[in-house]
Amino acid sequence: MRRLAIKSLAILALWASQAVAGDAPAVLRVSGQIANGPILLDFSQLRDLPQIGIETSTVVTDGTHRFTGFLMRDLLEHLDAQGDRVMATGLNDYVVDIPASDFMQFDVIIAHSMDGKALDRADKGPLWIIYPRDDHTELQDIRYDYRWVWQLSEIEVK
Amino acid sequence: MRLFGGAGLRLILPLVAILVFVILLTFSLLRMVEVETDMRVDAEQNMLWVMHQSESAARRLVEATMQAELGEVDAGQIALRLDLLRSRFALLRDGPQHRFVEQIGLQQQLSQMHTTLQQLDPLPKDFTPAQARQLRLELATFPAFFAQAANKTMIREWDNLGNRLETSRNQLRQIIASLIGIMVTGAILTFTLVLALRLSRQRNRMLRRERDFSGLLISSSGEGILAVDDAGDCTLWNPAMSSMMGQSPEQAVGRKLREVAGFFDIVPVRNAVAEALRGTTATLLFQPLFRKAHKPPLYVDIKVSPMRDDGRVIGAIVFMHDASDRYAAKEKEAENRARLEHLVVERTRELDDALTRERSAANLYRNFAGMISHQFRTPLAVADSALQRLIRRGPRANPDEITERAIGARNAIAGLTRMVESTLDAARLQAGQVGARRVPCNLVEVLDMVGTRQRAASPDINIELHHADTVDAVALCDPAHAEQVLENLLSNAVKYAHPNTSVSARVHDDDRNVLCDIISAGSAIDKADRDHVFEPNFRGLNSVGTQGTGVGLFIARSLARMQGGEVSLLPDDGTTTFRLTLPRFRGATK
Repeated sequence: MRRLAIKSLAILALWASQAVAGDAPAVLRVSGQIANGPILLDFSQLRDLPQIGIETSTVVTDGTHRFTGFLMRDLLEHLDAQGDRVMATGLNDYVVDIPASDFMQFDVIIAHSMDGKALDRADKGPLWIIYPRDDHTELQDIRYDYRWVWQLSEIEVK
Repeated sequence: MRLFGGAGLRLILPLVAILVFVILLTFSLLRMVEVETDMRVDAEQNMLWVMHQSESAARRLVEATMQAELGEVDAGQIALRLDLLRSRFALLRDGPQHRFVEQIGLQQQLSQMHTTLQQLDPLPKDFTPAQARQLRLELATFPAFFAQAANKTMIREWDNLGNRLETSRNQLRQIIASLIGIMVTGAILTFTLVLALRLSRQRNRMLRRERDFSGLLISSSGEGILAVDDAGDCTLWNPAMSSMMGQSPEQAVGRKLREVAGFFDIVPVRNAVAEALRGTTATLLFQPLFRKAHKPPLYVDIKVSPMRDDGRVIGAIVFMHDASDRYAAKEKEAENRARLEHLVVERTRELDDALTRERSAANLYRNFAGMISHQFRTPLAVADSALQRLIRRGPRANPDEITERAIGARNAIAGLTRMVESTLDAARLQAGQVGARRVPCNLVEVLDMVGTRQRAASPDINIELHHADTVDAVALCDPAHAEQVLENLLSNAVKYAHPNTSVSARVHDDDRNVLCDIISAGSAIDKADRDHVFEPNFRGLNSVGTQGTGVGLFIARSLARMQGGEVSLLPDDGTTTFRLTLPRFRGATK
């Protein structure tokens, strides 16, 4: 627990330094088997990726919502990632391994807005991994549900 | 009754089993679907983790404020921790999480805490330790609250889980019971299926045996049997039919009957088959069946019956029986009867003839004295006249004349003798001593003899004798009686003839008799007398002034009748004609 705390502190420090260095604060750190990694990405960089929308329900909200973001596989391709799985970490230190095959099989996105409103850090923002749950019944399973990382802050390609 | 019960049970049991089978299967399927649905675990049922994370966020915020008091962290760090806690509240106040919090009764507390969180002053850029302490105190109850919430959540979730497991266990038990039921009904169905199969095989065997037996019966029947369907096509043709009709089953089956043999196209047979196809049984006796030209036919009895299935006529069956022997016997019997009848007619006629003759004879003898005086007078007169002439001539008579007169006298006497004999014969006949003496006798010869004698006795009357060239004049009679009858008739005619007229006699015949007509142009018989001329001792008005006893015609008729003949007076046509009828010797076949 303590180690985790220290690690998150280190990330925050990094983020802070980036923020100081660039115009906009970085929102996502990508590390592991990528070209020129690790790398810090800010919103403008993320918005440069092709943007798509997904209409789906979630297990923690009522009704369906429209999420806007970019495809996970576009990001990994953009960064020339080589691994077969991705370790995603949230601001609250929630960590989960996601097989890279998910991103090939399904249109998994990293959303930055819900119903046209930017996701807030005090809610589930700024980034939320969204699966197209309503389009594929096999995704309506708790083994997929835990891969929906909200307050996503870091990705490590393994 | 037992059989009915058995059959009913055999039918009802599988139906009930199938019904139960379906119900149980549906029931267990529904239950399984329910279990399958229940087995989905929703994230909302992961509330313990949510509470834990919330507690963790609260503790780390408090921890961060402590560190801030010590100057170890800056305001940005506090802000991050505060945002993470706020995000927990956002989560707990949304959707399924919100409902769960309500369930465990912490909704109000959560709302108060949320309000506290919202009312916090915005964090200043320069975060002082005092401010940090102030924040820590304000948030002091948060971790404990989430610990308590986690506690309640765990208990509620375990209760829920226990309930769900119990429900699932109950559903599984019901499914197991249903499956046992399905197995039992399956076993019953299998059992009834095996039973039904066995029964069906048994019935098939019996049916086959019955069919074979029926086939054997039909093929070994002596009667010809054929069947037609409702369209009139032959469907059955047994060997007896083949031998009767000379057509094999292969030639007959599948074809129209009238094409198989013309016999079936003759009106009565065709009608009988048509009747049977309309539902009526028909029987025909002694139908002639010609199989080959110039051969005697078979006579067959035919019975045509309709074949019905569930009351509907589906065809006809024809039984044909060779009745030739019976037909021959019947024909023979008819022939015998006809011969017998003919015989009876013949005998009756003979008896009638005999009766007539007997009556005539009786009559004759009743009038014997009169007859004697009448009959004997003519020959005696002839003999007497011949002898008187001889006496008158005396010595002047030459030998030739003597001989001629003597012969004339002798002939007359001979005729007299014959008459006596015949009369005696008749007397014997009357007494039953002899039958009528009936022999072949040529009536032309008898007439010649009588005519010659009459010419001699009555030279002043012209007597003409005729007969047709082709006449068959041989009659069956007593020649003496025939001679006597003709003698009587001719002398009668001569007696009543006017002088210098002629009397003619003509022999002719019809299909069964020889006839002799004695025709005179003499004084006509009075109309009133015609009915009485054959009565003994009757003398008509025209006999006044002539000699006679009135028995000549009576005797003639009596004698003729004694021989199966007749003497009659033909209707008046200007002449007086008496006719002698005698049966021809050669019979009626001319």
